[in-house]
Amino acid sequence: MKKNQRKTVLLFLLLFAVICFRAGIYVSREREIVLEFGMFTGSNWDVENVDSFVIFDKAIERFEAEHPGVKIHYYSGVPKEDYSEWFSRKLLAGQEPDVFMILRSDFNQFSSLGVMKDLGELMETDPEFDSGKYFTSAFGTGQYGNVQYALPYETVPKLMFVNKTLLTKEQIDMPEQDWTWEEMYRICEMVTKDLDGDHFPDQFGIYNYGWMDAVCSNGGEIFEADGSGCCFTDERIIEAVKYVQQLEELNQGQKIIQEDFSGGSVAFMPLTFAEYRTYKTYPYKIKQYANFQWDCITMPSGSHGANRSQVDTLLMGISANTKHEKLAWEFLKILTYEEEVQMEIFRHSQGASVLKSVTQSSRMEEIIQADMEEGDTVISGNLLGRVLEEGYISPQFKRYEQAMSLADSEVGKIVESKKAVDSSLKILQRTINDYLRQ
Amino acid sequence: MKDKKDHYVSAFQGVMLTLNCLAVVLLCVFIYYTTEKIRGDYHARTFLDSVKAIPEDPKYNLYICLFMMGILVITFILRQFWKEQKHRWVFATLVLDLMICIQIIWQLDFNYNGLLLLVFANVISYVKDGKIKLLFVSLAVVGYLIADHNLLSIYENLYAVSDYMYYYSSEKQQYLFSIYDIVISLNIILFIIYCVYVINAQRSTIEEVHQLYKELQTANEQLKEYADMSERMAQTRERNRLAREIHDTLGHTLTGISAGLDACLALVDVSPDETKKQLELLAGVSREGIRDIRRSVHELRPDSLERLSLEVAIRKMIVEMSQVSGVQIYFDTEEEHLKFDKDEESAIYRVIQEGITNAVRHGQAGRIWISLKRKDGEIILTIRDDGSGCKEMKSGFGTRHIRERIEMLQGTVSFDGRHGFVITAHIPIRWGETYD
Repeated sequence: MKKNQRKTVLLFLLLFAVICFRAGIYVSREREIVLEFGMFTGSNWDVENVDSFVIFDKAIERFEAEHPGVKIHYYSGVPKEDYSEWFSRKLLAGQEPDVFMILRSDFNQFSSLGVMKDLGELMETDPEFDSGKYFTSAFGTGQYGNVQYALPYETVPKLMFVNKTLLTKEQIDMPEQDWTWEEMYRICEMVTKDLDGDHFPDQFGIYNYGWMDAVCSNGGEIFEADGSGCCFTDERIIEAVKYVQQLEELNQGQKIIQEDFSGGSVAFMPLTFAEYRTYKTYPYKIKQYANFQWDCITMPSGSHGANRSQVDTLLMGISANTKHEKLAWEFLKILTYEEEVQMEIFRHSQGASVLKSVTQSSRMEEIIQADMEEGDTVISGNLLGRVLEEGYISPQFKRYEQAMSLADSEVGKIVESKKAVDSSLKILQRTINDYLRQ
Repeated sequence: MKDKKDHYVSAFQGVMLTLNCLAVVLLCVFIYYTTEKIRGDYHARTFLDSVKAIPEDPKYNLYICLFMMGILVITFILRQFWKEQKHRWVFATLVLDLMICIQIIWQLDFNYNGLLLLVFANVISYVKDGKIKLLFVSLAVVGYLIADHNLLSIYENLYAVSDYMYYYSSEKQQYLFSIYDIVISLNIILFIIYCVYVINAQRSTIEEVHQLYKELQTANEQLKEYADMSERMAQTRERNRLAREIHDTLGHTLTGISAGLDACLALVDVSPDETKKQLELLAGVSREGIRDIRRSVHELRPDSLERLSLEVAIRKMIVEMSQVSGVQIYFDTEEEHLKFDKDEESAIYRVIQEGITNAVRHGQAGRIWISLKRKDGEIILTIRDDGSGCKEMKSGFGTRHIRERIEMLQGTVSFDGRHGFVITAHIPIRWGETYD
């Protein structure tokens, strides 16, 4: 009996010693907190960017000054195309960073896996924080199933690229900001011509105008918000697909390629705000679209919609397993909510700030103007703000990416094959619904 | 026999523990190994598309589970040492086991819930009460059914070990699924066999107890018969004694008288004087005989206190004493029912008797006052006389007996001989026994 008691006491002492030892290690580690930041190098908008570290370095410097004893560590050199795999490998091993960038294609899956922390409580309890400062579309992109899992960092809307030189040559006025499908169709019809006399047109109206661009500007929604079904038989979508088909028919079967546009023989092309900024400024200005004058306007509006376009947003979130929730939130706020840091996006990146006060400021216009030639008009902050505020957000459900790529290829086939749109979309509706309800 | 049973039960528990340890460790190692493989193959992103959830940190999971299984092994060993001597400690280890198992099951996201069966296997063998045991068994079964991965994953995002198995080729998947199913089934089979064994073992114990109880009852009945018989024997002995007494005294005397009377009959005509002498002799013998009979009867009769209530006995004694000695004796009590324990009554009776005797013999008292009261849980008895008293208290005036009797009942007694003689006794009453 006595012997056993001694054994028990010894055992508990041993256990206690182990716990103390572990606690000691833990405490000593706590003394210098290192916050991991997961990011990729380069631009999220598939344009060249040499300055991608500058903003983060500045933000980190500021954060570390405000929080002595806390260091931010980030891995450099992960390119965007490898980032998803890099992050997933970290995640599987339980070593994901505390604060990290989230690619659009990963957001839905990661949200459903519970990778990111629900920011609802942090947002509510922080008296300084006001979600109304963000553009509605940008802020909404970070939601999955009505839960805010991420905050927007940088955003890029789609704009319509206009070849001013070509329009002037054809004696067509620059369209207004609130132009419509009909106006665009009319201009396309006018500029589509056979110049070299081989009976095939070699000057075209529009290149790369997708059916989704048309759906957005016609106020359509392809999927139910929760991904339970799709609505291809909606009138607005049928109209949009028909409109794209009509535009395609103008080309009389000719395939337009990027070189046609670069060569100055296409009037319109949708492009992102990032591309606009890249090719409007030195040094890429000379690389692309140098032999004609061009500018950007809003997308044309359909009969049921507005001058609305798709908005792409780079998101950042906090790991659900972070040990330093408050610090991670503070850092996330510096990156996404601090006006100074957000202003840097206009200096060192190609996107737009997600904060209304930054994007619609006169300083932003000054910064962009500084990079441009004197004759070029600067896109106004108000226009950019309007496009962003009204921007189209794709629905957030787990299988969105797969369902969308399936729909995209099928609609592409319908447009090309000149099939009857109504019946083809009905069939497509059934196919996609089958997929979603699997 | 019992030791042997205990050994089997312990062995069963040991086997179940080993199997569960193996299952948990295998599961953790498998998930950790597969995670590393996926990372090595650079298939992480594709893999994530095929799962609903992933463990927070597979390596940490493995360590935590190893640590907790270690504690389970330690508590198991401790229980083998303690057995039944240390009920509280055994109980504490069982509670600890339950908490650890819940923690492990939680850690494994309900992918393996067989540990619940292990805990309840232990509980069943240590809990003796049949109803509580039944409760625990049903709890185990219900818990086992509810803590099911497939059921819970409807409501919660849980990682599934099957998702990790699907990562392998279909041939390997078959092996993995078979191993997984075999471990789970084996655990259930072991649990069922164990339950059947333990319940059987305990049922035979119950039967043994029943058997012993029956034997005890038979013995009791026999004892009762013996008691009856000895009572009858006592009666017989008493009758024999009475017969002997009658024969020895009355028989002897009557025989003598009848023989003497015969002689008188023969003598009466010859010599009336002789006959007269003879008759006087016979009268003496019969008086002797009557005295003998009185003595016998007196011996057979119980004490007056045994026959009468205390109050009646006291009053009877007082009447007798005052008739004999010519002293006036007053008895005063406020109690309606004078009823105490046998020894208390006896003490009170004897003290009064002794007190009166002393007052008459030593104090030449003319009047004696006796009072009996109850106050604050005490009986207060005072005996006062108007006799000469005594200036100095000397032991041996019959006071020693009184003191002894009162002290035997944890009471106190005081004597005062200044004005007459006063005896005051305080006797504590035993609670709950005062009134019948």
